[in-house]
Amino acid sequence: MGVTVLIVDDHPSFRASARTLLEAEGYDVVGEAENGETAVGAARKLQPDLVLLDVQLPGIDGFAVADQLRKLEDPPIVILTSSRDGADYGPCIGECGAHGFVPKADLSGAAIAAFLVA
Amino acid sequence: MILSRRPWLFFGPAAVFAGAAAVALTLSSDHEEHPAFTTVLLLFVSMSFVIAGLIGWLRRPSNRTGMLMVAVGYGVLATSLYEANAAVPYTIGTVFGSVFIAIFLHLLLAYPSGRLLSRWGRTLIVAAYATAVLAPLLDAMFAQEQTCKPHACPDNLVLVSHDHAAHTITTALSTTAAVLLFAGAFWLLVGRWRRATPAMRRQLRPVYLAGGLSVVLLAVGFIVTPFSGVGNTIVSVALIVTFTAVPFLFLAGLLGTTLARSAGVGTIFSAVPERASPGEVQEGLRAALRDPTAEVAYWYEEGEHYVDVDGNRFDLPPDTRSRVVTRLDYADSPVAAIVHDPALREEPELLEAITSAARIALERDKLLVEVKARAERYRAVLQAMPDLMFRISRDGTYRGFNAPNPRDLLSEVVVGRKVHDRLPKMLADRFLEAGQAAVDRGTPQMIEYELDFSGETRNYEARFAASGEDEFLMIVREITDRKRQQEELEASRARIVAAGDEERRKLERNLHDGAQQRLVSLSLSLRLAQGRIRSNPGGAEELLEASREELTQALEELRELARGIHPAVLTDRGLEAALEALAARAPLPVEIRGASCDLSAQVEAAAYYVVSEALANVTKYAQASAVEVTVERRNGRAVVEVADDGIGGADPLRGSGLRGLADRVASLNGKLDVESPPGSGTCVRAEIPLE
Repeated sequence: MGVTVLIVDDHPSFRASARTLLEAEGYDVVGEAENGETAVGAARKLQPDLVLLDVQLPGIDGFAVADQLRKLEDPPIVILTSSRDGADYGPCIGECGAHGFVPKADLSGAAIAAFLVA
Repeated sequence: MILSRRPWLFFGPAAVFAGAAAVALTLSSDHEEHPAFTTVLLLFVSMSFVIAGLIGWLRRPSNRTGMLMVAVGYGVLATSLYEANAAVPYTIGTVFGSVFIAIFLHLLLAYPSGRLLSRWGRTLIVAAYATAVLAPLLDAMFAQEQTCKPHACPDNLVLVSHDHAAHTITTALSTTAAVLLFAGAFWLLVGRWRRATPAMRRQLRPVYLAGGLSVVLLAVGFIVTPFSGVGNTIVSVALIVTFTAVPFLFLAGLLGTTLARSAGVGTIFSAVPERASPGEVQEGLRAALRDPTAEVAYWYEEGEHYVDVDGNRFDLPPDTRSRVVTRLDYADSPVAAIVHDPALREEPELLEAITSAARIALERDKLLVEVKARAERYRAVLQAMPDLMFRISRDGTYRGFNAPNPRDLLSEVVVGRKVHDRLPKMLADRFLEAGQAAVDRGTPQMIEYELDFSGETRNYEARFAASGEDEFLMIVREITDRKRQQEELEASRARIVAAGDEERRKLERNLHDGAQQRLVSLSLSLRLAQGRIRSNPGGAEELLEASREELTQALEELRELARGIHPAVLTDRGLEAALEALAARAPLPVEIRGASCDLSAQVEAAAYYVVSEALANVTKYAQASAVEVTVERRNGRAVVEVADDGIGGADPLRGSGLRGLADRVASLNGKLDVESPPGSGTCVRAEIPLE
């Protein structure tokens, strides 16, 4: 069984592309969420190994969601992603409890795997 | 000509010879009843005219009165030819013996200038000369049978007949002509007296007196002549005396009363106090010139015009029949001018004496009047200024003020009060501090403050400048409007900046949500396709097909965004094409008028956004069926109008869009109006000055 993944993004096209890409590389996408509020609920329910979390979401943003996720009983690995460059967010990525950042354009199984090993 | 410069050289001796000849002719006449009386009368009258005339001619070379008087004298002498015993001189004397009367009339009407100024006068004098020759000629041609005493008359060479009827007719004609002429002359003289200015009447008076006296005496003479004896003799003596005096009365009038008055000239200015004011000097001059309307004007160097005694601008009037100007210059530069009665010109000695004396006084007064003129001008400047002005002592006491608009004053009582009595303490302190700084440092100070006038706040700017060692001048100007405009400008500028920020935020968001997301998906799809290209070529092809569509969408979104940043068509093809593109994209018919006028890029951009925003609003709210867009130049302004036929009732401040447009238009010094009466459509109009 592969690593279970929850994809959180408000753009359906990205969710679809990411699901196809990750599944093609052996990941098991167990759920999708389109905003921060549903994401936390889904994570609690689905208990994924990894949450691919978009930074810019309607309502609470990715940083706040990451902060909530790490307070869960069995917190998942949180990888933030964005179409912006990681450097645009300054220290926020490191401080919010996320394990890493992958630019959306560079998303691949290998890029995620690097954080799983770490 | 020696004759014109020294007439007496010829006319004096000539008169002596002519007089001697006349005496000889009269005394040797065999048809003169009263040779002695006639001789005395002839000599006294002719010589008095010649002598007075020569004096007048000498003293007033340019005035013909003297010459005319000499001519009268000679005319009188010529009458003695009638006394000749020989036929030729007797006949000449008979025909030309009355010419002197015409010359006398000429003298009377031409007095005092010696020239006949009116057309009527000239006509009358020509007629008089003609009558003076023709009437005696006719009379001699148709003479009555005459018996001369003590001996027979000499031969009348021009006698045609002794026909009684012809004689009666010629006599009637002559008498009628003479009566008409005298009546005409009388009418002219009376008319001139009535029109004469006081100074002119003064000049006319002796002459009119002499003329009147002569006429009365002649009349008395005619009445008394039939009786002989003592009465006749008295009248004769009176006649001689009067006629002898007449030319001298003329002369007196001609020369004015210079002699009598020259003593008075000196006293004018001695009568005027040493430090007389310009007004007193003018009064003195009026008295001296006996012209109560005379005016003194001083040359005002700085203003390069004349001023009156009060320092007001005074334009010299052109010379007319009633007013003339005598300029007083010193070394070719003007000092002053006197506007006076033209009759004074006939008394140049008086005028000269008075103006010479006046020049000194006027030269001195000029400075005084200049100071007045300057003060007058400064006062005018002060009154023209809209500012409140206060003179305040260093310790804060008001010394004077100028308030063009009394509503600017906090209270009407100002002078003598303290700054702290009239103003809130804080403000009074600031005033005093600034005023004292101006006095102590000598540099002008400026503060801004506001005051409440029954609930209305007004802004003021006060400037302080030293005016002496213990006083400063405070000039207060209301700047409420300026302040408000400034605040509006600042607010508008802030809104423009905020709108710019908001635009950029929106742009980033759109880029992020739109094209960027599509490109991200594209990138992921391409990566997937790459992985499948060998294992699953069919799947890879599907992915590539989807990617191509994604890319087309991304490009379209980028184009749309770019258009929002700045419409390329506006830059490349101008306003008209850009508006047509807007019209083509609008969901309702848009008619565009007159967008082809040549406007600057800034104005074109503003016009474009006005139309773009207005069309967007029409689409969203107006429920219109058609829109009319007009862009034209009108009175140096670009006028952009977007009018629809929708429901109206739009609130101009409703959207940030219209507010932003108003700011954009205001930044070009233009204004944006929205007219939107409910039910009558909406008209958005922007007017932008072209310069």
